[in-house]
Amino acid sequence: MKARNRGSRKSAKPRGETYLFRLFVAGNESNSSQARANLARLCEERIEGSYKIETVDVLKDPSTAYENKVLVTPTLILIKPLPKVTVLGNLNDTWQVLAALRLTPVQR
Amino acid sequence: MATAKRRAETKNARGPQNSKKKLPKVSTGIAGLDLVLGGGFPAGRMTLLSGGPGSGKTIMGLQCLLHAATAGQAGILVLFEERPAAVRQNAWSWGWDLARLENKNKLYLMDARLDPEAVVSGEFSINALLAILDQRIKSMRAKLIFIDAVDALLHLYDSPMRERHELYALHEWLLDRKLTTIMTVKTVPQETAPSQYAFLDFMADCVIHIDQRVTAQITTRRLRVIKYRGSGYGRNEYPFIINDDGINIVPISSNVLQHRPPGPKVSSGQIGLDDVLAGGYKCGTSILIAGTAGAGKTTLACVFTRAACLRGKRVLYLTFEESPESLVSNMLSPGLSLQPLIKTGKLLVRSYLPEAMGVEEHLFYALKELDEFQPQHVVVDAISACKRMGSDQAAFEYLMRLLNACKERGITCICINQTSGLDMAEDISGVGISSIIDTIVLLRHRLTGGAMSRQLIVMKSRGSKHSDQFHEFRITDEGIEMVKA
Repeated sequence: MKARNRGSRKSAKPRGETYLFRLFVAGNESNSSQARANLARLCEERIEGSYKIETVDVLKDPSTAYENKVLVTPTLILIKPLPKVTVLGNLNDTWQVLAALRLTPVQR
Repeated sequence: MATAKRRAETKNARGPQNSKKKLPKVSTGIAGLDLVLGGGFPAGRMTLLSGGPGSGKTIMGLQCLLHAATAGQAGILVLFEERPAAVRQNAWSWGWDLARLENKNKLYLMDARLDPEAVVSGEFSINALLAILDQRIKSMRAKLIFIDAVDALLHLYDSPMRERHELYALHEWLLDRKLTTIMTVKTVPQETAPSQYAFLDFMADCVIHIDQRVTAQITTRRLRVIKYRGSGYGRNEYPFIINDDGINIVPISSNVLQHRPPGPKVSSGQIGLDDVLAGGYKCGTSILIAGTAGAGKTTLACVFTRAACLRGKRVLYLTFEESPESLVSNMLSPGLSLQPLIKTGKLLVRSYLPEAMGVEEHLFYALKELDEFQPQHVVVDAISACKRMGSDQAAFEYLMRLLNACKERGITCICINQTSGLDMAEDISGVGISSIIDTIVLLRHRLTGGAMSRQLIVMKSRGSKHSDQFHEFRITDEGIEMVKA
């Protein structure tokens, strides 16, 4: 999968790593919806095609939230590549989120 | 425990909480605190415990949770700061086995520590926490929830406004689920500015402030109920102690004197002295034996102790001046053999170092012995040493409450007091307790013709005739002997 993603991409990207995100949301509450949209946009802009987002609705699956030590929604966890990063909130501050996730601007 | 419960029940009847329609309450698991709160924390509502570091907030909440869990009521402890493993370990120091209750699904420790490295970007809510709790509450059928150090969570918001908003939301959420909630919040000891979480005091239905203070090098913990919606409560500051079995409070909860009337006369152990006292001491009264060093105070008290034990009564001897062994050995000189009385269980000697503990702890141990040993008579040797519990005020509090406790139980209490000089009128009672003393026996030395003689006089004997003369007595190999005038 990694290889395919890498091969199919036209533009340059940060060393072709696959990003795995886990986003914890609470149903359709406004902050959760915003986080979903913000994350999707950031990923498309920065790492198009080389990412995967698992969304967990804490209202439906509180156990997974607890296992991941998630107490607030929305919570975004960058699972891969290591080290793990946790970002809380609706991800409205683009630059802060990019910096936290180590998604520095692409060098062309 | 049974006796404490009994006391709690009898005192409840005349305590502040005596209304027709009682608010449902949940026992705190601490008998004395239940007395202060008129039964316990409000059921289905929120109680706030606030206090500085080390004040005992967590233990108080934990004790309530454990009490409920042991009785079959499931509860959840939400830990925002401590690791569950550490809490389990700490609980062991009071002999509380949390794991056992967890295995029975009566207790759940929820690790709610936040990742300190998490980055905050934009708004969020605590919906995940609530969803996790909701699931847990339903599966355990929990009725009680203890949220420890909620401030750790609130710090995330970085805005007092948002913190307040979220707490109100959390409060509503808890009320909707009819959970009895205990929440702790830290306070910093500053009188000038109101605490950041002062609004919590308005939100919660019951608020208890806890603190610890150091006076004269002795630390005293105190608690005060700030408010209790829909219920009466004890409005004073109550000192409490934390010892081997958790928090213990001995509140002065009765606002009326419940002293039993004095009983029949009982021999002082010495026939001649009985004559002077017109029959002996009255049962259930307080007797003060005052005098200079070496006047024979302890001997006189031991004469009484021995005679009472031989009549089959139980005597509790509290000494602040010597060890039980040394008392027993010293009393052999005037021929008072105490060891056999200790062996038969009629005499219990307890010795304490006054400065080792504060008044509350001393009182706690004394009252515990009153309840467990159930003595008919108590000797306190000597009240002058009680000042070393901290101050004159400390000694006064200790004796006043001990004497009151004795009078409520119909126990005769003999207090020994060492006076400093020969002019004893000033410091007979030493710590200002003379008003609740019924009988005062004063001992003194007299130097006559190159020899020392001992004299005693009965200065006061409420409700009884007595001699108003000085009487000479001798300490012999067989106790005390009155010298015929």
